[in-house]
Amino acid sequence: MRILVIIAWRNLWRNPRRTLLTAGTVALGLGLLLLFLGIGDGSHMAMIQNAVRLGGAHVGVQARGYQERGGLERVLSQHEIEQVSSWLAAEAPALGVESVLPRVFASGLASSADGATGVRVIGLDPGREASGSFFDDKVTRGQFLTPKDHNTSVIGDGVARKLRLEPGEKFVLMAQAANSAEIESLLLRVSGVMRTGLEDFDQATVLVPLATAQQLLNLEGQVHQVAIMLNGLDRATHVAERGRLRLPPAVEVLDWSALMPELRDFIRIDDGGSYVFNGLFFLIIAFMVANTLLMSVLERRREFALLDALGFSPRRRFLLVILEASWIAALSVVIGTFLGYAGHLYFHHKGLPLDWFYSSEVSAAGAVIDPIIYSQLSWTRIFGAAGLVFGLTFLLSLLPAWRGAKAEDVHLLGQL
Amino acid sequence: MTADNADKLLRLENVTRAYVQGEQTVQALRNVSFTAGRGEFIAVAGPSGSGKTTLLNVCAGLDRPTEGKVWLGSRDLSELSRQQLARLRLEEIGFIFQAFNLIPVLSAEENAEFILLLRGVPDQERRSKVRDLLKEVGLEGLERRRPGQLSGGQQQRVAVARAIAAEPKLVLADEPTANLDTETALSLLNLMERLNQEHGTTFLFSTHDPRVMERAHRIIRLVDGRIESDLPVTQNNRKDPRHAG
Repeated sequence: MRILVIIAWRNLWRNPRRTLLTAGTVALGLGLLLLFLGIGDGSHMAMIQNAVRLGGAHVGVQARGYQERGGLERVLSQHEIEQVSSWLAAEAPALGVESVLPRVFASGLASSADGATGVRVIGLDPGREASGSFFDDKVTRGQFLTPKDHNTSVIGDGVARKLRLEPGEKFVLMAQAANSAEIESLLLRVSGVMRTGLEDFDQATVLVPLATAQQLLNLEGQVHQVAIMLNGLDRATHVAERGRLRLPPAVEVLDWSALMPELRDFIRIDDGGSYVFNGLFFLIIAFMVANTLLMSVLERRREFALLDALGFSPRRRFLLVILEASWIAALSVVIGTFLGYAGHLYFHHKGLPLDWFYSSEVSAAGAVIDPIIYSQLSWTRIFGAAGLVFGLTFLLSLLPAWRGAKAEDVHLLGQL
Repeated sequence: MTADNADKLLRLENVTRAYVQGEQTVQALRNVSFTAGRGEFIAVAGPSGSGKTTLLNVCAGLDRPTEGKVWLGSRDLSELSRQQLARLRLEEIGFIFQAFNLIPVLSAEENAEFILLLRGVPDQERRSKVRDLLKEVGLEGLERRRPGQLSGGQQQRVAVARAIAAEPKLVLADEPTANLDTETALSLLNLMERLNQEHGTTFLFSTHDPRVMERAHRIIRLVDGRIESDLPVTQNNRKDPRHAG
């Protein structure tokens, strides 16, 4: 085996320019692949974080059926909220829980002297939200809600535009109360106007203090969702599983992907497209490698005949070509990983400004795409990409290797 | 194998080898039969195109006869797979080619020890054996040179060292002196003859070099793929023009 490894390695350097060009092409391909994956994952992570921090959650605890069917009356009771609290009190540090945000959701009608518009009302705890979500950062005029606020609201800038409202002005919010046919209304003062970058959200969202919303909706002590924010996205599935074990069956515990299926599917489709593109890109590179290997085997027909004559079995000749391909793959993986990781580090720290490509805010599947994308590259991605290079190189070296193994060019041995 | 053939190392029975070239069929060997015993030193003589190289290739299992059988010891080569034939060559046959044929990426020493390496001979034993052999063929000090840094004669001596390092039962040599100057050719012949005498190695070499035929103990003469004559060479007939080629 040692002699095979030595011959394979030295064979590569008989034509160093060809070897370096081949390895360089694969390395560049791998480097670009890692860069694409890093940028792609970075943008997906940022989208998820934005969606989670703008009304979503890493993990959401809700009454069973609320995710599928909604419903004003499908709430977590006070007792269930206490059960969630006691679970988190026991396990929050171990689970990496950052904040716990009770919320109510409803549809309503906002009206001012200048008009009326349908809105989505989110009742939230201003004190907790300030540290757990991005809402307060998105206030562009006026200020965010404070824990002492009552009958105040933060409205999306689309709502403000439609109703011609500015901070300090008042409007009426009407909504149907739970377990009642009555329409309740409240006079609210605008504390601030926010712009999240999500057009649909900004056109129709009204944030009000939790107590105000509960009063309006007749949901004293009840909420629709307890949103759990974590210090790492990758913990969400585990925390949701843990919650399902610890909480009664009357509640559902969902991670972000179940809470925001549109976003999850968008990421899957985007990843799928990226895999197809990268796969085709790599297939082209891999065929170039296969061609180089095949040429290198065909150029050495006499040498393979010599090896055959010396008792170097077909199996060994096959292995020799595979080893040559493996050396190229190893060389490419080392250089390519270095290049890709260096690129990743640059974009991880400096970021890729999207204004190179777009002039306005971009959102997709209910999530804002940050104007600067910071690359995120996991070891799984690195090993996966390196494995892909090895796997493809191996697969495509099978033909040249088979050609080398089956060569019967004994007539060439007499040629000088 | 019969008792009569027990000491026969190589046996060919009615071997024919035909090649199809375009619409023509070329008969490289026609009904060739002979046996070679252990320790024989046989020259296969004949003009270019008479089938000498094909005969050696058939004997090594590198080429398969169209008809007939080749036996090495008790094994019928036609019944062996390519893998088994490679194993057989590795274990029992040494090959010396007219065109030197060294592995270009290996040094002289690595080329010489190649067969031993494949056979898994331990490092120390292998190195010492190969160093001694290279010294014997006059290549001391050139062990680390690659084939491209050696002259034709030096390369051929490395090839000889490689062929005999593993002490094969049979050495097949295809015009081993064809590209060598007289001095190198003679020293190579001396070496082959000594190995034959000291180790009982059987040599079967093709040649049309009278210097080589002069040293053979038996000459098989091929013409148009047929054995024209197969005669032992004695002290008395060494100068016979029929044996001088």
